Amino acid sequence: MTFVKPLLPEEIRDPELQELIRRCEALGVPDALFPRVLARAPGHAKALLRALLHSHVEGAVDHRLKEIIRVRLARTAGDPYFAGLRSARARQAGLDESTIEAGAGSFENDPRFTTAEKWALRYAREMYLNPEKVDAAFYAEGKTHYSEAQIMELGAFIAFHYGMQAFARTLAPGPHNA
Amino acid sequence: MALNPDQIDAAFHGELRRHYSEEEIVELGAFIGFNIGYHTFFGTLKFYPMFSPDGRLVSQEESARIYGGAPASLEKGKGKRGK
Repeated sequence: MTFVKPLLPEEIRDPELQELIRRCEALGVPDALFPRVLARAPGHAKALLRALLHSHVEGAVDHRLKEIIRVRLARTAGDPYFAGLRSARARQAGLDESTIEAGAGSFENDPRFTTAEKWALRYAREMYLNPEKVDAAFYAEGKTHYSEAQIMELGAFIAFHYGMQAFARTLAPGPHNA
Repeated sequence: MALNPDQIDAAFHGELRRHYSEEEIVELGAFIGFNIGYHTFFGTLKFYPMFSPDGRLVSQEESARIYGGAPASLEKGKGKRGK
């Protein structure tokens, strides 16, 4: 049960929104529930779903790394919905649950991650827990691993998905607000 | 949503529905979430408004003095999230 009732599939008649929801379901992130809640505000739903999909799937940063970051952020946000979803595309590309757990946990000494990936994971970890650590020196280190375009892609991805997770947390009763 | 998300429970949503349609509640929630995510990110990028409050075009250094301040952690304030 969600506090805002999702529209039924047959109540969503906008072909563009239907196609976006189909793409979400194919990816698995989000599944159809969040889009059907967003569909209460269809203009917003289309913009937000396009951005969710684009930021997660498109670009020059490895989708598997983004998927690990996304799960880590959902746990920081305290959002069980997004934390429980998994990208089918990342799984097909070889990302397993053990690697997600490692990336969402203590990754610093884990040989599964490159130095660049560890910087990206720190970026996601510190952004909302210790943003004062994301300073000029931190970005300078990032530029030794990634282009400025990739850093903007990562930062925008982190900001957008965390924001939607913070929103999603408030849409359903859980241990935090039952 | 940003500081005490636990308080956004069924009763809170019940009150929201007295004032707003479900479409408006979704619109507001998504807008707030978007801002929660992006403002902290923007804060780490150290850029500031191009104009002073009285409309002068100012350097980023001057703008930082006018508008500056380090981005704040939600964890370290009164807010309760995650874990």
